Amino acid sequence: MTNVATPDAYANLPETNPLGFPLDWSWLRGSKSEWGVQPKPSSRGLTMMDIAVGAYGEVPDEPPRRTMAPRGCDIEDPTPDMGYILNKKSQVWSDNVRELYEEAVARQWSATRDIPWGELQELPDDVEHAICQLCTFLSEVEMIAADLPAKWMWRMNHDFLEAKMFLCTQIMDEARHSEVFRKRALANGGGLLKSKAAGTELLRSILQAKTYTQASSLMHLLGEGFVLDIFRMGELISPTDVEKRIFRMAMQDEARHVAYGTLHLRYAVEHDPDVAEEIHEALDHGEMVLMEVGTQPDLTTALATLLAGGVENIETEGFPLQSQLSVKLLTSYLARCERAGLNRVQRTLLPLDLLGIDPDTFTPAA
Amino acid sequence: MTATDTRLEVDRIRFFEALADEMNADPTRFEVLGDVDMSIALVMRRPTGDAFRAQLVFDGIRCDGVDEIGEGDERQAHCWLEGDLADWQAMFANIVENGRAVGRQTINSLTLVGDRITVHGADPLGVDRFFRYNQTVQALLDGAAAVAAAPG
Repeated sequence: MTNVATPDAYANLPETNPLGFPLDWSWLRGSKSEWGVQPKPSSRGLTMMDIAVGAYGEVPDEPPRRTMAPRGCDIEDPTPDMGYILNKKSQVWSDNVRELYEEAVARQWSATRDIPWGELQELPDDVEHAICQLCTFLSEVEMIAADLPAKWMWRMNHDFLEAKMFLCTQIMDEARHSEVFRKRALANGGGLLKSKAAGTELLRSILQAKTYTQASSLMHLLGEGFVLDIFRMGELISPTDVEKRIFRMAMQDEARHVAYGTLHLRYAVEHDPDVAEEIHEALDHGEMVLMEVGTQPDLTTALATLLAGGVENIETEGFPLQSQLSVKLLTSYLARCERAGLNRVQRTLLPLDLLGIDPDTFTPAA
Repeated sequence: MTATDTRLEVDRIRFFEALADEMNADPTRFEVLGDVDMSIALVMRRPTGDAFRAQLVFDGIRCDGVDEIGEGDERQAHCWLEGDLADWQAMFANIVENGRAVGRQTINSLTLVGDRITVHGADPLGVDRFFRYNQTVQALLDGAAAVAAAPG
């Protein structure tokens, strides 16, 4: 460990280079940042949690500058203003974001290498069509969860670095999801099928949200929560082990995104209670659009066909199982809302009664 | 071995210690699945009315905590899985028979339908951890095939 520089240390260094240009040794002679911090690696290596020590670990509620300088360094004044508009920690932060970043990095996978594409089998025509239709839908909707963070990230104050880093992993995850579902649609001799307007309408709603927190509520909590449950269904709807593997891997990624969103919204509401109504308004609209997407006839028939293993059993097996799973989907969503500090049970316009959910007896704990 | 074979005594803490040993002895297999930070409890309801409860604590690519716990202690874990002992035995028998869980005997399938084994958490985010680390949990449970094949 090098000692802290004293005022007379390195006093005899040259003031100009051989061409006569002035040299700057201020970084060596002592800067106004914390020197001597030496985080220790944990059993997993040197994590972002390990280096969140001293001043480097302090994330300001409202950073005084809007610069890309790394948090904790000695910043030259004046420094250019990057024009960030998300300058409050409550607008982007979640208390689990460092852990989620590390987890995302550790649990990356490859749609090219980690899926046993060689094991695909010829499927009945209706089942192949159904999986291709579902993959068409998923390949489309997954990319919104990459576009949306990309839209907002460059507007986030750089002192919230860890949140931006996590969102980078989400963008990579979603690119891979879009990739893997596109690959599956094509890989077994089928192809991409129908893209419906309702799906695009939902994506537009998310992308056009007025604030990041509204967008996060629509994307992380509502949209990705919905998709997470579809991925969980992968066990039941997959015709072969290839699709099962795809859904299992994608499920793990999606659950991370939902975990970030849930605790981001909680952090936002706890630190700025006024934002709760803003989120509720976004969800009032988003739930209705999502219901249109979730009940659009092409998606529901494709899912029910897969649940039934073919069109012949769709009424006896597919639709009943789909209804059963819809209840789980909605109760999971409502429970996450509660965890985020948002009571949607009494406010939602989703048809809870049709699915046998009684708002008066609903308990958020799973 | 049939689906109802109960040669594995799954409601014993030594069985889960053996699963943890299998995991910890094979870091290469678990490294590709990624790090885990989770405590998970399993509750097996016996026909006699009592229940066996175990808690597993994952850290990184290891399962470093295996403990039998008392009634209600499962609520201290991030999440817990609960079902009749016979359903747990059927799941492990499927693993032993096939080398890994197949069909609707994967832990995700069982908890998704939820008519035999259910997933719970005092906090929805705890339940989400089960989904985030699902493939690691499945790989640990799949270790039952190796445990069953081990001598003694």
